[in-house]
Formats: sequence, structure tokens, C-alpha cells
Amino acid sequence: MPKHSLIFLPDDDRGMGSESYYNTVDNGTDREMQHGYVLNVMSLDRPGIVAGVSDAISELDGNIKSCSQTVLNGYFTLIMTFSLPKKWKIAELEETILKTEGLMDCQAMIRPMDSDAPRLADQAQNIFVITAFGKDRKSIVARFSAFFAEKDINIIDLYGDLTPEGEFVLISQIEVDPSHDIRNLQLDLEEMGHELGFTVKLQHNNIFVATNRIRLD
Amino acid sequence: MLQTDEVLSTIRMLHSEHLDVRAVTLALNLNDCASPSADQMCKKVHHKIMTRASRLVEICDEVGGKYGIPVTNKRIAISPASFLLSPHGHAGALKLAQTLDEVATLCRVDFVGGFTALVQKGISAGAQVLIDSLPEVLSTTKRVCSSVNAASRKAGINMDALHQLGHVIPAIANADAANKGFAAAKLVVFANIPEDNPFMAGAYMGAGEPEAAINIGVSGPGVVGSALQRRIAAAKASNRKLTLSDLAEEIKFASFRVTRVGELIGREVAERLNTSFGIVDLSLAPTPTVGDSIGEILKTLGIAKVGAPGSTAAIAMLNDAVKKGGLFASSSVGGLSGAFIPVSEDATLADAVEQGHLVLEKLEAMTSVCSVGLDMVMIPGNTPPATIAAIMADELAIGVINNKTTATRLVPVPGCVAGDKVDFGGLFGASPVMEIRNVEASGDFVHFGGRIPAPLQSLGN
Repeated sequence: MPKHSLIFLPDDDRGMGSESYYNTVDNGTDREMQHGYVLNVMSLDRPGIVAGVSDAISELDGNIKSCSQTVLNGYFTLIMTFSLPKKWKIAELEETILKTEGLMDCQAMIRPMDSDAPRLADQAQNIFVITAFGKDRKSIVARFSAFFAEKDINIIDLYGDLTPEGEFVLISQIEVDPSHDIRNLQLDLEEMGHELGFTVKLQHNNIFVATNRIRLD
Repeated sequence: MLQTDEVLSTIRMLHSEHLDVRAVTLALNLNDCASPSADQMCKKVHHKIMTRASRLVEICDEVGGKYGIPVTNKRIAISPASFLLSPHGHAGALKLAQTLDEVATLCRVDFVGGFTALVQKGISAGAQVLIDSLPEVLSTTKRVCSSVNAASRKAGINMDALHQLGHVIPAIANADAANKGFAAAKLVVFANIPEDNPFMAGAYMGAGEPEAAINIGVSGPGVVGSALQRRIAAAKASNRKLTLSDLAEEIKFASFRVTRVGELIGREVAERLNTSFGIVDLSLAPTPTVGDSIGEILKTLGIAKVGAPGSTAAIAMLNDAVKKGGLFASSSVGGLSGAFIPVSEDATLADAVEQGHLVLEKLEAMTSVCSVGLDMVMIPGNTPPATIAAIMADELAIGVINNKTTATRLVPVPGCVAGDKVDFGGLFGASPVMEIRNVEASGDFVHFGGRIPAPLQSLGN
């Protein structure tokens, strides 16, 4: 099973070494006017994609603010926010980045960054993890995501994969407003899981932090 | 960084290996309930416990639900009841016990501990009232648990107290003969009693503790046992050699995670109850459920018959590794913190007794390297009081000399002889009555009475 970073960690203790961690880079050099962008890249996985993208941004005198990358079933995907000293037309910027050596076979999509986009750190208390596993069938992600959408519950992170035994495993972090009754959510989810032949658990994020992290806040 | 496989391993621990929080115990100081009138004292006790503890069960369930981890037992531990009893005599002791029983029922906790006397150096008037009341108190109440500290490293062993208890314990069992003497299982006799122990029957609140505190007992042996089995299976599958150091390491990891779960739940319960957080007790407490047994862990570690040579070394390793893992997970470790080997509550240990693999003397040897002592041991109903006192003296001597807590919870089963099977049901389990060899050979020693002086180790200053 590919490893995928899932658990939200507060700002001061991000992981180390993995390309897949949710990282913030701010070297304080961009006090003058900067223009923020969000970049999404997809490709068959191979070495050199991250190097190509970051090289392209360096060439444009840009600064990477945050990035997260994962590989799923042999496919690479990257989401990255960065700032540039000059304002670009989106189509031109996409074209410029994809022209970089080593990125020719990638697909990329860019949009200007909205500086009001919510940051996770503010909602740590409300983050829960749902895990569901059972014999693979259609509509699992659809059913669970519809359940959350209907209740205005935001999915922050999502991972799903087949185990070698043919089980589908779904793990997702969701942000649950305190106005929701957790017990009722758990019961509803368990009932839906039962219908689908899935074992479903909804638990607060901190239990996973406590059992896996050495340092607690 | 946390990964999906770590999430899945936590999920497996929580849901397939039955990880729970074994005990959340609210410790309360009741010294301000003292009164010249027994009625007034009981009223104050009732009011204080209801004020502080009425939401304990509800909050534990809420917090457990939020994290998806059940809190199996919710309990209350009070400051020693003997401190309140000296002016009130036998009737006052009974009244207090009944009040505690009622209030425990109202709060929906399964036990209230702390019907306790500290007599290691001598028996105060209140302690004497309490000890004398035990047969009636423990046989007429359901939820009251008692403990007597009869020895300590600093004081030595109070043999007069043990001699008295040698008579009192069969009297408790006989008063509850209809239940095979079960009432005696609610009394623990200690050396070096811990002041913040969350586990029953020995939980009480010590003198140096805050006004109220939440103390936590972590999950049982199931999680550790499963982790070991998985590690051994993985090594076999990949044809890699495993040593005992590798297995000790595995126990540490499991213990780290289990302790973290306990502390997370405990701190949140304490916060919601507006109470200070006390300690996490790292004891592995078995239940009669298959898969939740210290005996099974010993078998996994390669001791085919629990009680065979190697059993003491294996449990010493287990006990030590659990502490090492737990100690790194939390800076608030306390209580008993050692693997329990309560015979009837651990199906594999009870089976080892039945098969003749585990005898009293070997059990005693094992308790010198783990917690907590001769626990839930059924003995013949006609065991002479002096012999019971001598069994207790032996066990407490291990604690006094080795600077650890030891204890006995002996049930002289009325009308039963060695080999008879006794079933208490539920968490208390079933076990054969153990044979006591050399009965009636310790009487003169016990009858000398007095106090075995504090050992050389007490003079550490």
C-alpha cells in the first residue's frame, strides 16, 4: 500500500524528509508585492518531476510556499502554492512551466491563489478521522462524500486504496463543526457502513497523533 | 510524518485488539467530611461525592466516544475511611459503607475504593473500627472496596495486624458463604500501598494527593499479546531470527501507544470534570476474556506451561518493557505500574493452576518481579488464620525488602478444598482452589506478634 500523509499536524511540527508532507516555506524575502499561484501537476510517476517543477519556479524568481505530493497506483500528483514577483497570465504561466526540461509529459493546471483560503491550523480541535474498510464495491467514496456534503462537513484529506486481499480502505480527515453531535454522526456512519458491508469508525484526530507522535503539544 | 499505515495500525489496535481504557478513577479527599455525628458525616460524604462525581460516567462515555475508545470501568477512590471513623464505632462504619454503596450506585460507578486503613506501624482507633467492621461491610455492600496497608519499607511488617486479618479474612468469606466468599475479593492487604492507584480493589486516595484527581489504568494485555504474536509471525514469514531483546522492544512500542491513549482520555476527562489529572498506571490488568491474559503473553514468549522454569524471567522482562515504553509516553506515571497476575481473572493462569503447572510458591516468586502479589487466589476455606497471616507476611516481605508494592487478595472459599473450582463470574473469573502446603507450620512465628522491624534498606538517608 503506498504511503500517504494524512494526519494533520499543527504548524510547528511538520515531518521531515518526505516529499509528501504538507510543508510551508517562508524565508521572509518577499516583502515587496508578490503574486500567489496554486499549481497542480499530474503525470506517470518517475524521478525528476519535483526537480523540474521547482527548477521552473526558480527560473521565474519564484518562491514555493507549500507543497504536497503523492503517488497513487503509479501516478504522480503534486499540489503546490508559490509566489512570483510579476503577475502572469495563467495560460502563459502553465505553458512556461511545462516547457521546462523533464516536464513535457506532465499535465499542469494553475490558478491565482486566494489569500483568504482557510488554513487548517485554526481548526485543529474539530478534525476527525473516518476510516472505512470492507469488500470493494462501487460508490463507496460517493456515498461517504455525499453524506458529508449533505451535512456541510468539509473533507480535508482523503485516501482510498485496494489492499492485496481485495478490501477497499478509505481514510479521510474531516472538519466537523462543534454543533454536530459526534455520537449521532458515528451511529449514522456505522449504519451506512453496515448497509455497504463496511466497518466504519469516526474518531477524533488527536488519538492518531497521540499514538504515533513522540512529541505532543 | 504520520502515514496511512500508521493510521491503520492504530485502527487495528483500537478495534481488532480491543484496546480500551481499563479504569478511570476519580480520587477524592473526604477528610473535610469528618463530623462528631455519624449521620452528619454520611450526609457530607454523600453530598461531596455527588457534587464531584455525578457526571464522571457520562463524561467518560462522551470522551471515550469522541476517540472511539471505551472506558471499561469508572470508579471512585476516597481518602482512607478509617480517618473518619474513630468516634463512630461499628455502627458508624456500617453507615458510612452503606452511604458509599448508595452513592456509587447513584453515580453509576462499579466500585468505590478507600474503605482503607493504614496500619503498617500500629493500629489507630479508627483503623481498628474499620478492620472489625469488614466482615459485615464487605458482605452487605456491593460496591465498596477495602484495603489495609500492613507493611512498608519504612515501618516494617505489622504482624499483629496480619494476625488479626488472618481471622478477619475468613470471617468476611464466611459472611458471604452464599457467594463462595466473594466478599473477601474486595479486600486487598498491602505493603507499600500506592497513594494514586486507579485499580480496584486497592484504590484509595493518599494523604499527599490533591483535593481531587483523575487516575487512569491503561488497557490490558490483549494489545501487547497481539503485537508480540504479529512480530513473531512476521519474523517466521521472512525467516528472520528474533531474540528476546527484539520482543522486549515490541512490548515497549505497544506500551507507548497504549499509555498515550490512557493519558489522552484521562486529561480530557479531568479537564471536563474540572479536576486535576493525576497519573497513568502502566499495569497490564488481565480479564477472563480469551486474548486478554498475562498467561497468554508468557505462552507467546515461549513458556509452554505457565509456572514452568522461565516464567519468572519472562514476566520480569514483560513488566520492565511495559514500564520503559509507558514511561517515555507520559511524565505522569504512577499507581502500581506492573503486570498483574490475578489468578481467577486471567483464564490462562487459572488453567495453569488447574493443570498443576502453577503452584502458590511459584506464583509468589513471580510476584517479586511484577505486580501486585497473590491476587485473586482461592484458598481452602479451612485454612488456619495463622497460616493466612503467614502467607500475607511472606508476600509483604517481598515488597518491604525490594522497595516495591506487594499485596494479597485471598479468598478462603467456605466449604471448599484444594482443587474445587470456584466461579465468581464476570471480570472476577473462575479458578480452582489452590493447594497450600505445610499448613499449620507457621503458627508459632505468627503468634510472636509485634512488628518485623524496618529493613536495612529503610535507612537510605
